[in-house]
Amino acid sequence: MMRYLRLLLVQLRISAAAGMAYRADFLLEGVMSFASIGLTLLPLIVLYNGRETVAGWDAPSALIVMSYFMAVRAVLEGVVSPSFVDLVERIRSGAFDYVLLKPVDAQAMVSASRFEPWQVFHFLGAIAVAIYAFHQRGSAPELAHLALGLVLFVAGVLAMYSLWILCAAASFWVVRLDNLTYLLGSIFDTARWPVQVFPHVWRLVFTFVIPIAVMTTYPAMALLGRLEAQTALATIGGAIALLVISRLIWRAAIRSYTSASS
Amino acid sequence: MIRARDLKKHFKVHKRPPGFASAMRSLVSRKYEVVKAVDGVTFTIERGERVGFLGPNGAGKTTTLKVLSGLLHPTSGEVEVEGKVPFRRQTKFLEAITLVMGQKSQLIWDLPPSETYAMNRAVFDVPHEQFKETMAELTELLDLGPLLDKPTRQLSLGERMKCELAAALLHRPTTLFLDEPTIGLDVAMQVAIRDFVRSYNQKHDATVLLTSHYMDDVVALCPRIIVIDAGVLIHDGDLRQLIKTMDPDKRVTFTLTGVVAEDEITRLGSVLVRDGQRITLRVPEREIPAVVGHLLGPLKVADLAIEDPPLEEILRVMFGRAREAAAS
Repeated sequence: MMRYLRLLLVQLRISAAAGMAYRADFLLEGVMSFASIGLTLLPLIVLYNGRETVAGWDAPSALIVMSYFMAVRAVLEGVVSPSFVDLVERIRSGAFDYVLLKPVDAQAMVSASRFEPWQVFHFLGAIAVAIYAFHQRGSAPELAHLALGLVLFVAGVLAMYSLWILCAAASFWVVRLDNLTYLLGSIFDTARWPVQVFPHVWRLVFTFVIPIAVMTTYPAMALLGRLEAQTALATIGGAIALLVISRLIWRAAIRSYTSASS
Repeated sequence: MIRARDLKKHFKVHKRPPGFASAMRSLVSRKYEVVKAVDGVTFTIERGERVGFLGPNGAGKTTTLKVLSGLLHPTSGEVEVEGKVPFRRQTKFLEAITLVMGQKSQLIWDLPPSETYAMNRAVFDVPHEQFKETMAELTELLDLGPLLDKPTRQLSLGERMKCELAAALLHRPTTLFLDEPTIGLDVAMQVAIRDFVRSYNQKHDATVLLTSHYMDDVVALCPRIIVIDAGVLIHDGDLRQLIKTMDPDKRVTFTLTGVVAEDEITRLGSVLVRDGQRITLRVPEREIPAVVGHLLGPLKVADLAIEDPPLEEILRVMFGRAREAAAS
């Protein structure tokens, strides 16, 4: 366990150092990152301009969904996605061999191989948006709801991570898989809206097929104290199931790894 | 110790003829062909041995190394390295071996090699004191001092290879799989890497299995060689013995200092190379004393050298024979 913790810390430091190796890029990314926090909120402001509620969600509640979306996306773009890009590159070049030669779990090693340090501000931005939303509602969340909201945040992150691991596993067979992640990325973008906004069929798809509702809507409902216990349990169970499935498929993929030419 | 018994690794490869039409067809139905990269290889290498692993391109050398280091699952057969089954990739096994691939890099491109070392230290859980000690040893042997803090992308190929070796050996493995570790390097750097591998082998009693396209590497480092061709083992044994059996004649090279009649030379042996006054003869071993006496005496030649036939030549003959045998 200590080995993994140390590895994580070293990778964190190395990613930050690699990011800062190109100074201009690093600073530009910082500026872009702050601009994108503002832009994320824009569609919501437009939507609620002159409307009280949309699909049963008032503006402050929808902001909570948005804050979950921003937080999950910060994890996605801060860790999961850069690590995934790194993994695909390693598989293509054959440098993935060196990952398999290390006495640590390959999935653990590639899952957090790269970090985007600026995403920390997106995460903090998400917390700020949530605090602002509760301020607008004029009430703080109950402690139990806050705890459940946090647990479901973890479940949401796990569900998102599992989807990306499934993609990563597929890249062992298909190798060129950039398009699939773009698709997944665009689908994930819909997680900024409460799932009830979508027509019934899509609601089912976003809950059971590509569970983006699990990532933002249900955690937000939990934080707002609107989520039934069964749904909360199903959400947690679903996330764990997805994690287990992705792990099994990852292991099968490793077994069929053929290693690029010498 | 490395043990392989009847090791086979077959790949299923998608085959299609060139052209757009066949590309379209291959979308619907595909033809597969089984490539027998390694087809029933058996050998044992004892602890501390240095063995050269030779064969033409596509002979199955790299595939064998990848199976031995646990990267690939063998199709069939038994493999054991350091008492473990490689493809299970147990921690103890991975801590005891290393694989260096001359064509692939594990160094982090934008950062100095010291960062990769820090990462490997964490991954292999190397205690701080041991890390410092190993690092000092590798820095001295490989002369890494000035390279450690330069970004990898600014290193020359040779410098990078030295840093790759250090990264691969930080955890002090006792089994080394070296796949073309000197590829693309100049002669001085090749010699440096060779010397380093020998001293590491002696100091740590490490087993070394080396593939290289530079026969000088193999001749200098490996008392024993294993030769494979088309996935099949065609020789396993002492290097000098192999040369003796395949071609017992010596190569005698010298430079003429005066005018000598042609038949004076051909009488001594068959002429292999003639480059102006510089001549290489092929001479049976038992005739060497007489021939050398004549060359140094009446003919007054300069720069006389007596050598074994080059390993390249021996291998060319061997692969030729193996092909003929396979064809008949």
